Amino acid sequence: MRISTSQQFQQSLNTMLNQQSTLANTQNEVSTGLRINVASDDPAGAAQVLAINHILAVNAQATTNINSANTRLSTETSSLSSVSTLLDRVNTLGLQGINGVLSDGDRANMAQELIQLRSNLVQLANSTDANGSALFAGTSTTATPFVLNSDGSVTYSGNASQQMVAVGGGLQLPNSDSGSAIFMQVPAGNGSFVASAGAANTGTLVVGANSVTDSGAFAAATAAGPIDYNITFGANGTWTATNASDGSPVIDASTGQPATGTLTDGGSISFNGISLSTTGTPAVGDSVSVQSGTTQDVFSTLTNMINVLQSGTGDSTTLNNVLNRQLESLNQAMDNVTNTQVEVGGRLDILQQQQSTQADLSVTYSQALSNVQSVDIASAVSNLTLQSTALQASQQVFTKVQGLSLFNFIQ
Amino acid sequence: MPNMLSIGVSGLNAAQAGLATVSNNIANAATPGYSRQLLNQVENVSLGSSGFNGGTGVDVLSVQRAYSQFLTSAVWSANTAQQGATTFDGLTTTLNSLLSNSGNLQTSLDSFFGGFGTVASSPSTSSNRQALLGNAASLTNVFNTLSQQLSQQQSQVNGQIGSTVDSINQLSSQIASLNDQINQAGGVSGGINGPPNALLDQRDQAVQQLAGLTGVSPIVESDGSISVYTSAGQPLVNGNLSTPLSTQPDQFDPTQLDVTDGNGNNITSSLTGGTLGALINYRDNVLATSQNQLGQAAVALASSVNAQQAQGLDLNGKQGQPIFSIAAPTVLPSGNNTGSATVSATISDVSQLTTSDFVLKFTGAGTGTNGFTLTTTGGQSVPLTANPDGSLSAQGLTINVSGGALQIGDSFEIQPTRNAATSLAVSLTDPNGIAAAAALSASAGSANKGSGKVGAVSVTDAGNPALLNGATVTFTGPNTYTLTDSAGQQTGLTYTPGQPITSGNGFSLSLTGTPATGDTFTVAANTNGLDDNSNALALSNLSSVGVLNGGQTSVIASIGNLTTQIGTVGSQANSDLTTQTNLFNQAVNSQQSVSGVNTNEEGANLIMYQQAFQASAQVIATAQSIFASLITAIQA
Repeated sequence: MRISTSQQFQQSLNTMLNQQSTLANTQNEVSTGLRINVASDDPAGAAQVLAINHILAVNAQATTNINSANTRLSTETSSLSSVSTLLDRVNTLGLQGINGVLSDGDRANMAQELIQLRSNLVQLANSTDANGSALFAGTSTTATPFVLNSDGSVTYSGNASQQMVAVGGGLQLPNSDSGSAIFMQVPAGNGSFVASAGAANTGTLVVGANSVTDSGAFAAATAAGPIDYNITFGANGTWTATNASDGSPVIDASTGQPATGTLTDGGSISFNGISLSTTGTPAVGDSVSVQSGTTQDVFSTLTNMINVLQSGTGDSTTLNNVLNRQLESLNQAMDNVTNTQVEVGGRLDILQQQQSTQADLSVTYSQALSNVQSVDIASAVSNLTLQSTALQASQQVFTKVQGLSLFNFIQ
Repeated sequence: MPNMLSIGVSGLNAAQAGLATVSNNIANAATPGYSRQLLNQVENVSLGSSGFNGGTGVDVLSVQRAYSQFLTSAVWSANTAQQGATTFDGLTTTLNSLLSNSGNLQTSLDSFFGGFGTVASSPSTSSNRQALLGNAASLTNVFNTLSQQLSQQQSQVNGQIGSTVDSINQLSSQIASLNDQINQAGGVSGGINGPPNALLDQRDQAVQQLAGLTGVSPIVESDGSISVYTSAGQPLVNGNLSTPLSTQPDQFDPTQLDVTDGNGNNITSSLTGGTLGALINYRDNVLATSQNQLGQAAVALASSVNAQQAQGLDLNGKQGQPIFSIAAPTVLPSGNNTGSATVSATISDVSQLTTSDFVLKFTGAGTGTNGFTLTTTGGQSVPLTANPDGSLSAQGLTINVSGGALQIGDSFEIQPTRNAATSLAVSLTDPNGIAAAAALSASAGSANKGSGKVGAVSVTDAGNPALLNGATVTFTGPNTYTLTDSAGQQTGLTYTPGQPITSGNGFSLSLTGTPATGDTFTVAANTNGLDDNSNALALSNLSSVGVLNGGQTSVIASIGNLTTQIGTVGSQANSDLTTQTNLFNQAVNSQQSVSGVNTNEEGANLIMYQQAFQASAQVIATAQSIFASLITAIQA
């Protein structure tokens, strides 16, 4: 085939230009470390890079969320453990009040300490997280959800909701516990019911520990709603139970007969699955009320203790009856706090697991990302060498071939 | 010996002509479009005076081009394809680097949605909210920048279409004038001076350039002139006449140029091949689709975020206001409309939204749907639905016709998402306006006796003006309840356990457990729960929620699709360019193997003609010396 001289030049030039552009491409890959610099380098790969980067961004956000939840829940744990210590001290004081032979001055001092503890408790209940938001306000923005009124009662202005945190993988965990559940909605009495001696009682009856002895019978009794009984005493410790709402006799489910009996000193009253242990003797007309489903906030418990200790009464029956009831309620509050602590601990565990899962996933996805978009440096560098050698060869061949002209020899 | 002398002279002349041809070839060795010239010499035919035919020397007939019409035509058509591929590749390469350089859409989207996650961690912290608004601003900035760059490329392409048409017209008239000159010089075979080689080369070169600008079919006529027709069949050159193409603003969108032939007919869509074909193809198929797709992603982002925002309460206790503002679909009336009606369009269902542009045409009352037909700009028919209120619906759009009278043939172009990405802006300025909290909260009455608990309150109609008014549900039996909301009191409603209770105020309440008779549940604005983050969590989750394509494609995924699409067009254009360049080089090689100058060959010819000249000179010298010998002999 005839070769045109200008075409021969052009072709060698085209070859060198192509080699140079391939070389520039490889050079770009080596210097950026990326195989995909614009979408057209690998359209499907570019979309994959985008998708993986999105997953990594979502993971990173989940990790941030986990960290902030960790801080918040850890703050909550330490606040709750302070609350726990404080309630322990209240419990100790209450037991001293019952057992000790105390002077009026001692009781006044105890009341004074309890007042101090109550305001500490309010302070703890108003704890804030790192951002200054109240920990126990539910999802309310109020800065001080618990306000101590002058009569010793406490008003809660938060709500009963929980803030959630997204910790990745579609999982959401509560990021807070509402103060209403921890401090306000505490079941009164032993947690199932409260049996309290009437305030106007004149006998020496002290209601001690109460419990549900037959949970089936108790569940049947409360099926239609909370129970509200009045146990009224007659002569020689005889008693009858009536419904507080209409005065009708309470039917003991086990016998089908109205619940009645005779109480001896140190004996107990049992019907419909509940059992009340007592000491002392009731006077005629004395009463005990039994209610289920009632709640009593922990501040009221403290206030009730303070009030009875401050009342100046030396009457051990009243004192014991009141303190017994309040200590029962206090135990419920302490259980409440402990349960919440356990729950928060569980959440912190999940957060930790989730954190390591996110970290593992990030490693996996980063690896996948690098597989898609990163250049294999070893092969890229060897390509670079190969291509630059090829370009050099072309340049040498060009000068050699173009030097071969007949005109070199025409003299 | 007069014969010997005249033969010598003819040889001398021929060698001189040969030397001139060789010199010309060498001089033009690098001239584009030059065809190697050959000396056409024959034996001199004349009867000798003596009785035998000993020959009377050499005769130069002409100097001709080494030329193959077939190979040259192959170069022309290869040039059309190669120039088209070059232009297309250049444009898509720019598009690809625009996409990778205009900030990263995915990163900005993820920081924006991640911002909701940070707000959720501490909803009442104002710095988080401020940062989120900042993220939103930079996200819209990325959308705006990219979309503006696409618009800029569009106006560049339109400018190039105009200048390409000018070049086409210039070349057409040049070819016509060359046709004329060649004709005057005696046509392809030429007159007394032989063929007009230089003019023929110039004309071939002009046709090749024209073929590079647009797809043409050049036809060599019997009189030697070349007629040129466009790919659509319109004549550009006929003999010594040329017909110019022209450009005019599009009937719908005056910023777009249409190409018209000599009779004023719009031939834009039928022009293929060459630079012009590539420009038109890129503008109408690649760039417009990319703009629409980017706009579609912007609409999906704005509508999903704004809708979720409306389901929550902001830190001021108000229902969430839109975070983004975005332009409604563009409706462009045709410049040819004779009626005075106006058309507007709104996006009614983002999940049905496509990336097509549409033409709405009034075909007269009693035809089509309410007198209208809808087609894509590509001409595909699209079903229209008539709504009870007189508006029309198609592909997620609601179209309203208002104002004056319609005339048959009036048409409107609807671009649902073309300008959406440019117009995307952050309309929320107050950081407290981010609706992190749920709009409603429900609570069970304190005296409730049953085990019924509040499950969830979901907003079903965020647009309901009475949404925040709340409602009260009172159970009048185990399975009947009274609902008191803004619609008044509805008694005797049936409660099915597990099924939500729906209120006309735009929400539904689901309960767990078994409510007892007399139990009440109250739903109210969540104003005491503004530190709630459930709506912020829902917002942060939106990046992965399907919005487009019938709820299948999330905003992130649609950006991924856009990337793949632009990347695919780019890599296809790139490999197409390689193929077309190779084909073009092959065609040029074949053509050059006939017509190209080889300097070695010319060098050899130079020596040959030089020697022929020297030899002929020797013939003359010999004749002279013979003659001199003869004279000397006579004198002696």
